[in-house]
Amino acid sequence: MEKLKDAFDFRDFSRAEQVGFTIFSIFLLLFPWLGAGSFVKVVMIQFLLFSLFGMGWNTIGGYGGQVDLGKAQCVGIGAYTVALTMVWWKIPFWVSMPMGILLAVGYSFMIGYPLFRLKGHYFAIATIATSLVLQDIFANWKLVGAAKGIELPIHDHPDFLYMQFKSDTYYYYFIMVLFYVAIFYMNWFRRSKLGYQLRMIKDDEDAAESLGIDIRWCKIKAYSISAFVAVGGGFMAVYNLYIDPVSVMDLDLSIKIALMAMLGGAGSLWGPIIGAAFLVPLDRFLGSWLGGQKGLIGLDFMIYAMLIMVVSAYQPRGIWGIIEQFRRKGS
Amino acid sequence: MKYRKTVLFSIVVFLSLLLIVPPLFAQEKEIRIGVLYPLSGAAATIGRDLQRAAELTAEIINNKTPGVDIPMAQWAGIPNLGGAKIKLIFADHRGEPDRGADLAKRLILDDKVVGLMGAYHSSVTKTVSAVAERYGIPMINDSSTSPELTKRGLKWFWRTTPHDDIFNKDLFELLKGLTEGKVKGVKAIPKDQLKNVAYACENTEWGSSVAKSIEGFAKEYGFNITKKILYNANSPDLTSEAKALVSVKPDVMLFASYLSDSLLMIRTLKGMKASTNFFWGQDAGFEMADFVKTLGTDTNGVLTRTVFIAKIAKVKKVAGQVNALYKEKYGDDLTGATARSVVGVQTWAYVLNKAGSTDPKAIQKACNEINIPANDLVMPWAGVKFDATGQNILGRGLIGQYQKTKEGMIDLEIIYPFELATANMIYPFPGWK
Repeated sequence: MEKLKDAFDFRDFSRAEQVGFTIFSIFLLLFPWLGAGSFVKVVMIQFLLFSLFGMGWNTIGGYGGQVDLGKAQCVGIGAYTVALTMVWWKIPFWVSMPMGILLAVGYSFMIGYPLFRLKGHYFAIATIATSLVLQDIFANWKLVGAAKGIELPIHDHPDFLYMQFKSDTYYYYFIMVLFYVAIFYMNWFRRSKLGYQLRMIKDDEDAAESLGIDIRWCKIKAYSISAFVAVGGGFMAVYNLYIDPVSVMDLDLSIKIALMAMLGGAGSLWGPIIGAAFLVPLDRFLGSWLGGQKGLIGLDFMIYAMLIMVVSAYQPRGIWGIIEQFRRKGS
Repeated sequence: MKYRKTVLFSIVVFLSLLLIVPPLFAQEKEIRIGVLYPLSGAAATIGRDLQRAAELTAEIINNKTPGVDIPMAQWAGIPNLGGAKIKLIFADHRGEPDRGADLAKRLILDDKVVGLMGAYHSSVTKTVSAVAERYGIPMINDSSTSPELTKRGLKWFWRTTPHDDIFNKDLFELLKGLTEGKVKGVKAIPKDQLKNVAYACENTEWGSSVAKSIEGFAKEYGFNITKKILYNANSPDLTSEAKALVSVKPDVMLFASYLSDSLLMIRTLKGMKASTNFFWGQDAGFEMADFVKTLGTDTNGVLTRTVFIAKIAKVKKVAGQVNALYKEKYGDDLTGATARSVVGVQTWAYVLNKAGSTDPKAIQKACNEINIPANDLVMPWAGVKFDATGQNILGRGLIGQYQKTKEGMIDLEIIYPFELATANMIYPFPGWK
């Protein structure tokens, strides 16, 4: 009960943050009724999805300081579990989704054990390696559709059990609920014992060890917790009705997840959300507006890359770092 | 003072009206079709070529175009829709299935298109067609060749191009023809010179479908597969894949590659001085204009399956006419991929004209009943007519070979079907010396 209270307790945030979060929440709740076009809705869904991914990454990457460049593995496991169980045995989404999360957590725990023998860059490289190996296995494993991927059957009528709706509004509210579960969980996590231990490990591993913290065990726990991003993978499967190793397990996806969290501000509750709010619309809108325009093709990539470079050069702690810097100057 | 204010106000009102009113009067009826192609990313070159071909075809339909002997060139709009013009709205999916699905929603719900076309990558076509199916909007696929696409029981999906099973059968017919002495300019080859087959296909939906299909036909026609490789088309290095291919010394090398990986593969194989008797690429990268522009005479002897070769103009007048327009405008010949875009937009125009309405149900009915005669097409096909699965049953493939001319240029000659052959086949593959 105490833990539940902690999850909803935002009192240690500044007044401005509390007000901002409330306004933002009201906006999210009312968004589908504000008359925005369907593409804006699609972009909002992507934003919420990537915020969720970023928050998952933040447990180990942000609070724990372990740069994980293989988060797409968990996304992929979630997506494949939902898709395969649905195609093979017609298992409803609501059953297969928790199964996917459990599998991803189990998998992360398993590979976390050997992975956390490594530190720093070596750990980051190892996460890329395991991610590429898993993707290759799925790309060649005929039972799971190999490189051709898995296509989910399209239902003629809306079906809540299998999460098939014609209107994106349903998907929007579903991912929004997941987004809030993740926020409240992360709000609790950052003040949990493990949260403090991880920050200590991030600052100084030797000092943490001297205080009796089992570093490797803490990292493995956090790494396994971060596997909850598998829920987003399951969502991608039912939302797009098609998955293949490239769309749900690719290194690009892992890098995007890490990039959004880092750009927004790793190790802060709002960081991944700000990162996703910045990069997802930039990527989707620029791509959509400029992508089809003659003579402007490729310009969206340049603007996207330029902004990332500017932010990283100006403030390595990301956009949240910039905001805090201004705030300090102001006070 | 009051007088000046009134004059000023009148001028402002008049100018505002000038801005608003003319579009109201001048606005012609237009029919929007959403076209999804990879306009940026790894397949951007192909996507832009497809876009040009689609635009040119829309121009031919929307304006009277003298010198093109296809009825639609004299339409100046869709006749049964009061001369309404076709407006193509392009969207760039970058080869990403989820982005394709998102853009399809934008086109359907925000841009209010009457139908969709694209998406080149079979994997993207899968998600886009799923969106079209959900919203009950017709999609005519011009350029994705994975056989699975028309085996899904969709009600709102039609495909004009033949698929990879048809193309791969052509390939094995050509190999069989070589052993039987049917190929122009080549005496019968003993089968043991062509027995061992190795393939390298890119590892998404399309490439792996091709791989599966090759394996099936190899078994049926009695060839041995000695090496199977699936690789990432975006990979910056293909040395290990090329080494693996060369190591088994195959008689026949087969590829399913997009543009950048096909270039990289050939350069890597050239660097290894790889040799084989028969070198074939499954369309896509192998038949893009930039393939020859970049590799030049290194392509001599390379075979590619396709659906269009500029030389087809010798036997098909309209192909030459449309090709001439395209070449005049963009400087390149039409290729199999770009010619499919032409047929895609053309099929849309014929379907809309037959439907006489933009109602999805009417278009669906028209698609199921359409029968475009062979003479109206730039392709060497018997026409466009869809079966119950939405597949065009009148399409066929060609196999071409890049051949060095006396002037040191590269021409794509037709080798298969045997009766359409425009040159003697170069056999064995000369390699890179």
